[in-house]
Amino acid sequence: MANNNRNTLDIEAKHEQDFRRTILVVDDEPVNLRILGNILKEEYDIAYAETGEEALYVIKNQKDFLSLVLLDLHMPGGNGYMVLEEIKGSEDLRYIPVIVLTADESAEVESLRRGAIDFLNKPYDRPEVLKARVRRAIELSIDRNIIEATGKDALTGLLTREYFFQYAREYDKFHPEQEVDAVVVNISKFHLINELYGRSFGNRVLCSIADGIRSVARGCGGVACRSNADCFYLYIEHQENYDFLRKTLADRLIDISENHDIHFRVGVYPDLYHSAHLQQRFDRALQACNSVSKTTSLDMVAIYDNNMHEKELYEAKLLGDIEKALLENQFNVVFQPKYDIRSGEPELYSAEVLVRWKHPELGYIKPDFFIPLFEENGQIKELDRFVWREAAKHVRRWRDMYGVTMPVSVNVSRVDIFDPDLLEFLQKILADNGLESKDMHLEITETAYTDAVTTIVDVVNSLRDAGFKVEMDDFGRGYSSLNMLTSLPIDALKLDMGFIKGIAENNKEISMVEFIVNVARFLDVPLIAEGVENSEQYLLLKKAGCDVIQGYYFSKPVSSSEFGHLIERSGR
Amino acid sequence: MTIDSLREFGANVDEGLERCMGMEDFYLEMIELGLSDQRFEALGELLDAGRFDEAFEMVHALKGVIGNLALGPLYNTISDMTEFLRVKADVDYKALYQRVMEQRKRIMEG
Repeated sequence: MANNNRNTLDIEAKHEQDFRRTILVVDDEPVNLRILGNILKEEYDIAYAETGEEALYVIKNQKDFLSLVLLDLHMPGGNGYMVLEEIKGSEDLRYIPVIVLTADESAEVESLRRGAIDFLNKPYDRPEVLKARVRRAIELSIDRNIIEATGKDALTGLLTREYFFQYAREYDKFHPEQEVDAVVVNISKFHLINELYGRSFGNRVLCSIADGIRSVARGCGGVACRSNADCFYLYIEHQENYDFLRKTLADRLIDISENHDIHFRVGVYPDLYHSAHLQQRFDRALQACNSVSKTTSLDMVAIYDNNMHEKELYEAKLLGDIEKALLENQFNVVFQPKYDIRSGEPELYSAEVLVRWKHPELGYIKPDFFIPLFEENGQIKELDRFVWREAAKHVRRWRDMYGVTMPVSVNVSRVDIFDPDLLEFLQKILADNGLESKDMHLEITETAYTDAVTTIVDVVNSLRDAGFKVEMDDFGRGYSSLNMLTSLPIDALKLDMGFIKGIAENNKEISMVEFIVNVARFLDVPLIAEGVENSEQYLLLKKAGCDVIQGYYFSKPVSSSEFGHLIERSGR
Repeated sequence: MTIDSLREFGANVDEGLERCMGMEDFYLEMIELGLSDQRFEALGELLDAGRFDEAFEMVHALKGVIGNLALGPLYNTISDMTEFLRVKADVDYKALYQRVMEQRKRIMEG
């Protein structure tokens, strides 16, 4: 008979497919043994044992096949308690459920305390009752074993994400008035810890954080999970202050890593008014967590606040409008000129193509804001392709107008790299406009390189083989090792803006720039600096040996026709 | 020994048969097996010798078997003896034991 209740395991159905389970009946009384066996034999395969020792022998030898042990307590050769203790004390055997057979009421509680799942009275209940309890015990044990196998994170022993949310939902159901906080803990730059100190040390860090989180969850009446690699969720009663969590986790880290610089970030969403559903609360806690800089050398706790909420609403609005914006062509491209400063007079060298979104209600939206949203919802590919098409069109237009082919650089996102027809698409738009691959430079961020090195290297090699120039964007923001740089195929290094902001005569920042100039020389590629805003920065960079400059000092991003005038005036 | 003789004795035959999945032959076989147990004799010796702790263990084990066979009157006598021995009550165990043996004989001889 099929079981229609989807919430319980359908062992009867398995039974129909000849999936017979095996039960071990242990009793020193042949009459009892045979009566019980006779009741159960129709549904199960039965193994018998008449002493405790014999029972343990069978259990150890057939542990993978036994679904249940029915165990008499009073037997010669080791009583039932000894068998029960041996089963429950063994990592291998403890999953096998045991039902105790007893005529003593006093023994019932003791058996349950020692790990029996249920007890059956002597004289036996009616066979139907007995069979139902046996079936139920097996179902429960299968359920429990599945939960143990899939509900627990193998490394840290915390819950897995799915089970965590299930527990949290149950908690909400039974504590509708309780004020509960959603907490997210993230280890800062965890991939670096793995890279620098090895995966086994990384695992120790994860386990230490998990231990701390587990103790906090227990202490505050809540549940915790490892949501993914280095991110943990905690669902606990509302706390006024999270210093104790910070301290607990920091102490755990000190225990294993006194000499290492390991930090974590905590985001909290206190849902005092039960205004958001569970997933949303953790999204917000995560948002709070992400508001703490990854590079801070402090262990920080951020609480979700109104600003974050407004940002969330704004982002949700933009996310909802992306589709329409692409359809209605609400985007246009602008050009940020790049100047070659190697000779005396700066010369127009190229331009980086940037995208602008003119939202019909919200006006111009900054790319810093909407690009991550496009990356998140997967439509960055369409946007990138729009930009590339526009770029090619304008390069062609300038050539037609001024007789000069001015190459431009466009951004290639991480997802584009995994697109099998990337090269074909680029070649097609260039061909459509009568251009060559050298007329469009491709900017790929350094972080993309460090994420999936093998794939990126293969793709970049094929792009370069086809004649494209590839610039490594935001160099210095990621963590490429110098060793790795030598094996990366690139045609230019683009210095991350962060380096330029603080440069001054003889300070650390300019020394760093000088160092990177040497790296570029070593790789025999030009060094491009972006975000250059004033003459002081320009002169320092020129002196340091920078090759190409882009930034407001020379020009803000301009329209196609304005850039055309720059080409015209450059006299190229 | 037949189903009818068991009924006559006062056994709860319906209960016993249900426990044996309605199989009369099997039920009768189990009763024969249960009643031919040498511990019935051994119990008398232990009681005579005043080894009440051992007697308790033995009668307790027999109680589990006879209970499952639903042999009402015999089960009641054995249960009484078990409880008396459990608390080491000062009762006439010899008389009780005799009753056990008589009831056993009555069943076996049908």
